[in-house]
Amino acid sequence: MRHSTMKIRALYAACMLSLFTGPALAEVTVLGWPGGPEEVALRAAADAYNAKADLADADKVELLFFNRDGFWDKLQADLAAGSTAFDINLLATYSIGRYAPFMEPIALSDEAKAVYGDSVLATMQYQGEQYGVPTDLSLHFMYYRKDLIDALLNDDAAKAKYAEIAEKHLGKKLEPKQPDAWDWDDYTATALYFTQAVNPDSPTRYGTVLQMKNLLFNIMVWQSLPRAYGADWRDDGGKITVNSDAYRKGLEVYKLLYDAGATPRDSLSYEFAEANAAYASGQVAAMLQWNAAAGDLTSTEKSPAVAEVTDTVAPPSGPAGRFTHIHGLGFGLNKNAENKDGAVRFLKWLSSKEAALIYARNNGAPALTPEVVAEVAGERPDLVKLGEFAGKYGYVMNGGTSAKALSVYELQAKEFTGYWSGQQSLDDALANTEKGMADLLKE
Amino acid sequence: MTTRRKIEISEFRILAAPLVAFLVLFLGFPAVVNLVYSVSEVSFETLRRPALSGFGNFAAVLGDAAFWRASWFSFRFGLLTAVIECGLGLFLAIFLSPLIEKRSWLLAILMMPLMVAPALVGLMYRLVLHEFVGPVPYYLWAYLGASISFLGAGSAFWTLVAIETLQWTPFALLLFYMAYQAIPAEVNEAATLDGAGGLQRLRHIELPLMRPTIVVALLIRFIDGFRVFDNVYVLTGSGPGGSTASLSIYIYEAFFKQGAIGKAVAASVILFAVSFAVLYGLNAIAARRKGKGR
Repeated sequence: MRHSTMKIRALYAACMLSLFTGPALAEVTVLGWPGGPEEVALRAAADAYNAKADLADADKVELLFFNRDGFWDKLQADLAAGSTAFDINLLATYSIGRYAPFMEPIALSDEAKAVYGDSVLATMQYQGEQYGVPTDLSLHFMYYRKDLIDALLNDDAAKAKYAEIAEKHLGKKLEPKQPDAWDWDDYTATALYFTQAVNPDSPTRYGTVLQMKNLLFNIMVWQSLPRAYGADWRDDGGKITVNSDAYRKGLEVYKLLYDAGATPRDSLSYEFAEANAAYASGQVAAMLQWNAAAGDLTSTEKSPAVAEVTDTVAPPSGPAGRFTHIHGLGFGLNKNAENKDGAVRFLKWLSSKEAALIYARNNGAPALTPEVVAEVAGERPDLVKLGEFAGKYGYVMNGGTSAKALSVYELQAKEFTGYWSGQQSLDDALANTEKGMADLLKE
Repeated sequence: MTTRRKIEISEFRILAAPLVAFLVLFLGFPAVVNLVYSVSEVSFETLRRPALSGFGNFAAVLGDAAFWRASWFSFRFGLLTAVIECGLGLFLAIFLSPLIEKRSWLLAILMMPLMVAPALVGLMYRLVLHEFVGPVPYYLWAYLGASISFLGAGSAFWTLVAIETLQWTPFALLLFYMAYQAIPAEVNEAATLDGAGGLQRLRHIELPLMRPTIVVALLIRFIDGFRVFDNVYVLTGSGPGGSTASLSIYIYEAFFKQGAIGKAVAASVILFAVSFAVLYGLNAIAARRKGKGR
């Protein structure tokens, strides 16, 4: 055999081999959120989908995960580069507008509305179009020590001290109440009462723990406070409305608590993990935290000091109502998907009741309507509150799904932490935020 | 030109070609793209079709108070950490020299902080300094009844300087120890015979002989401190109100968090130009001194 012919055949064989060794067994590739309950739930859902007898091999689902660190930045770069490495990708409420130019709207199953409800479906909408299936929802609970609150409510001397502290710091006498009836003044007064720097007899070192690190997620935790006073990013006409009494009140409450020592002095570097550690130590009376912390903080193994005396309610209310920030993680369609039909079929199934229940039973956190969540309430009691709070108190700021939503949160985090840390005045922080948001959100 | 010279030039071209190709591909191309982006209006959607917009990005960067604040942070951080690390490293190199000579395994232990990735160092100190899980605040509370706010607005900078110093002083120590060991023993012996004491030998013989190493160590540590990113970002992010944003963090946040690609790239071009000018100047001074020394 001639040498050149041998070379051509060897090359041909190598090409054929490479075809069979590539990821060709599954045709719908899904880029998921790695390393947490979301991954476990997605794997279970994909297994159930792939096990369907009537599913063509070409439509089977393969999952793809990379690291959480910098996930959204990497996804942005991949989508912008027109990547075909995945057909379906993860997206979040606050980043839909950023990714929408590289994605396509989708049609959900007929059951989707009855499974999730309008407010939850809205977390995956952008400019009136549905861009994703809302598989996991995040919102905030107020975690509190019921043993401490009960003791306070049953002690007249403590009540008198509470009223005295409230009058001194808030300018009005308040009476302690059950946490489910708190407004933000009650929250503030309770936080001060349980702070040793304010009340040396307090059984805890701090009344609360605030997450004040210059981080966008911390603004999401905080903003339910001004929202309870009517805050929004902009009005219906598109005018930026952050320079308002509502924002002013929300910022001042945090500043007051920080300056009074009601939260650890290092709170300006605290985020999710630090706040959990502080609360779990037993030295904090109440805090606002993501629902994702519920598992750890009520586990006697992980939080022995507080697990059995911790309860959760929705965040406190204000004159404009009671609110909890919500955002969802979900899955949507890559505009450059190679198997678009298969991807659309999977997404439609993923929005069905069958898929939602599988997802819920396997550690996922979908916010389901009361009728649907009742079917898994025995196994996942936490999802009952999640669905209830999302439906009753959930909100998304006007502009919260826009292309620059993340940048708005970043801007607020920078300006507001600047005020809390005493580096700039409240007026400057609000004026800078208003100006920055006007640039970011201009149509 | 002689035939031999021609052959030498030809060989040089052939041998240098891979290096030149590498530089063009991996440095030249990104540099050109950066220059284009820095004078363009560009976003993630228009990465492949940036619209030229003049020098607006440079004006935006130079007019941004956050850029100057980040520059000042980087300069201050780089200078302070370089001076402290080199001062400590020099002291330890000389002070521990007799001990290390006899027990060289000590050097391996002293070098251990260098083995840890800076991002992990940041993560580690998030735990170490946390009021409720960290050992440092625990003992402060136990013995003093209060703890310092290590990462508060007023103290975060100094905490970051301390952490950087703890990690990188061993690097300076290693360089200085090697330089100290390289000083010919006869020189010191001769000085001793002439009646020079320890401090006099240090001042008039050892330090002058170690000066090139000290200058290089200061420069390397300054550059490393100036471009700090990972441990600071993990520990404090850009800090309350952007108070711990280094220039690297400023550029990263402008690029990825704000999507202001043109502005971020313009800032990196300015940084490059300033760095180049400084290094060129230092090189020129060094060359002139070398010339004078001959």
